[in-house]
Amino acid sequence: MTAPPLLAGERLSRTYRLGAARVQALSEVDIALTRGDFVVVMGPSGSGKTTLINLLGLLDRPDGGRVLMRGEPIGDLDENRRADLRRDRVGFVFQSFSLVPVLSAEENVAYPLGLRGIGDAESRRRARALLDQVGLAGKAGVRPDLLSGGERQRVAIARALINEPEVVLADEPTANLDSGTAGGILDLIRGLNERRGVAFLLATHDPRVVERARRVVTLRDGRIAGAA
Amino acid sequence: MRTWRLAWRNVGRNRRRSLLCAGVVVVGFAGIALAGGFMAQSLEGLREGTIRSGMGHLQFAARGAFDGGAGAAAEPLIDDAAAIEAALRSDPEVVEVLPRLDFVGLLTNGARSVPTLGTGLDPAGEARVMDQPKSLAAGRWLADRDERAVVLGAGLAKSLGLEVGDGATLLATTADGTLNAIDATVVGLADLPIKELDDRYLAASLGLASDLLMTEGRVSRLVVVLRDHRDAAAARPRLLAAIGGAAVAGGPGGAIEARTWEELAQFYRQVRTLYLGIFGFMGAVLVAVVLLATANTMLMAATERTREIGTLRALGTRPGAVGRLFLAEGVLLAIAGCVAGAALSLVVRLALNHSGLTLPPPPGATHGSTLFVKFYGAAYAAGLVAMLATLALASWFPARRATRMSIVEALTHV
Repeated sequence: MTAPPLLAGERLSRTYRLGAARVQALSEVDIALTRGDFVVVMGPSGSGKTTLINLLGLLDRPDGGRVLMRGEPIGDLDENRRADLRRDRVGFVFQSFSLVPVLSAEENVAYPLGLRGIGDAESRRRARALLDQVGLAGKAGVRPDLLSGGERQRVAIARALINEPEVVLADEPTANLDSGTAGGILDLIRGLNERRGVAFLLATHDPRVVERARRVVTLRDGRIAGAA
Repeated sequence: MRTWRLAWRNVGRNRRRSLLCAGVVVVGFAGIALAGGFMAQSLEGLREGTIRSGMGHLQFAARGAFDGGAGAAAEPLIDDAAAIEAALRSDPEVVEVLPRLDFVGLLTNGARSVPTLGTGLDPAGEARVMDQPKSLAAGRWLADRDERAVVLGAGLAKSLGLEVGDGATLLATTADGTLNAIDATVVGLADLPIKELDDRYLAASLGLASDLLMTEGRVSRLVVVLRDHRDAAAARPRLLAAIGGAAVAGGPGGAIEARTWEELAQFYRQVRTLYLGIFGFMGAVLVAVVLLATANTMLMAATERTREIGTLRALGTRPGAVGRLFLAEGVLLAIAGCVAGAALSLVVRLALNHSGLTLPPPPGATHGSTLFVKFYGAAYAAGLVAMLATLALASWFPARRATRMSIVEALTHV
């Protein structure tokens, strides 16, 4: 008997209102992530990549279909339970880094541990270890506004991994980075994927990301146009 | 990251805005603390003035006397006053017992008569605990219980053209209804703060009043002064029990009643109600101003942090925890504002108390008083509670917004 996927979407649909019009952002999309996956979701702007990440990451609720974690549907969970699942099982990397500006790099990374009630000293120890892994050992006490774009994204990646999630969802993680830095970030992500077995799903239209993918899903107009 | 630490960092994020917000709290807190101190000082002065102007802390009288005689032809009097006085004096909390014999009479200089509100009293006892004997405008206080002398309100003396050393005749109706008159010497003039009283006031020795009214040792009231004004209500049943069994002549039930100073001081109660009303209204206006100013500022700050709220929520922060973060920021601003407000209040209070400013006399009074603002801990506590509640309410708006916000919309907020 095979284990259920870590994270799966079944016939996911999402419609948004845009003034009087209704826009079908995602239409009956099926996707599943298993341990060690490195999936890239490709597609032009407006194809539904971010919507798919939002639904799989429990940031939004689908109009149709369902999201399953380890085979368990999670559609009926309340906001607190969904927040707990995001905290414990999903890591996020955003295009614009989304670091908390009043916290240092170390404090940003440690933040999700605090949500789980882990003590300050232990949180800081683990955060420093992760910063070391992403090559930012000397920047622990630096606030985000004094870090470069690449460094900020490394901090965001460390933060996404601090609670040892099963899945990391990354929305355009290289979009705001120059090509050299983007390559470094992708190598880092891929390395973490291979070493830790964490499943990654990256939404992008950056061909350099596609080159590193094990699986590519192409979205067009909210539907899966191809998978390879 | 612990909520309070993050809240503190957020408060320090935009210092100018936080200072502005805390500044509003400073003004609100100082307003409440200073107004409360002024009110407390005024009420304390009025209370002590009321008690020391003759009211005492407790008064004992024959049943019905406090209600104007309860239909009796003459005011009921306390019989065997000396025994009751002795019983009252035996209580350790009692500082002084003052027998009083009240009467309404006429004072005449031979050519003109003026109605008076007279009181026969124990001059030595009154001099020990009351203010009147210490604040005479002219002459001296009465010497002993049997002196054939009177002290007049300055207004009363003026209306009759009487001065210290002059003779006058006092007329009154005796206990059995006949008219009696006694000659007395004016030995002192009292300057009373209330004009209506100043125009009618007459103090006589208890012996003179007793002879005039032919009451033979009976008195209208026994005024008791305690060590502490707060003990009046508690002392009443104890003292009534101590004097139980004393006979009362003329009283309908043969019993003695007691009233506390607060029950008797209608003017004090009215002023206190008025002050509380004014203070409450002013406090409400201050709170409303602080609420509007800080709620707007905090909502603006929260709007600027919309994406950050989305990030915190996405990372797994529960909606309630994000709401609590804003509440914590409000509470920190309130505490910082209150600490600064307390310091400001103390400085302003010091300056006002050394300014020598004189307040105009209140309605019906003849003397103003020097401005003094008391340190009133309850007003500081009220200010702290009011500002904490106001800032918590002000931060409730952004907290509610953050709690209900869609994460996706927050993350894409521009």
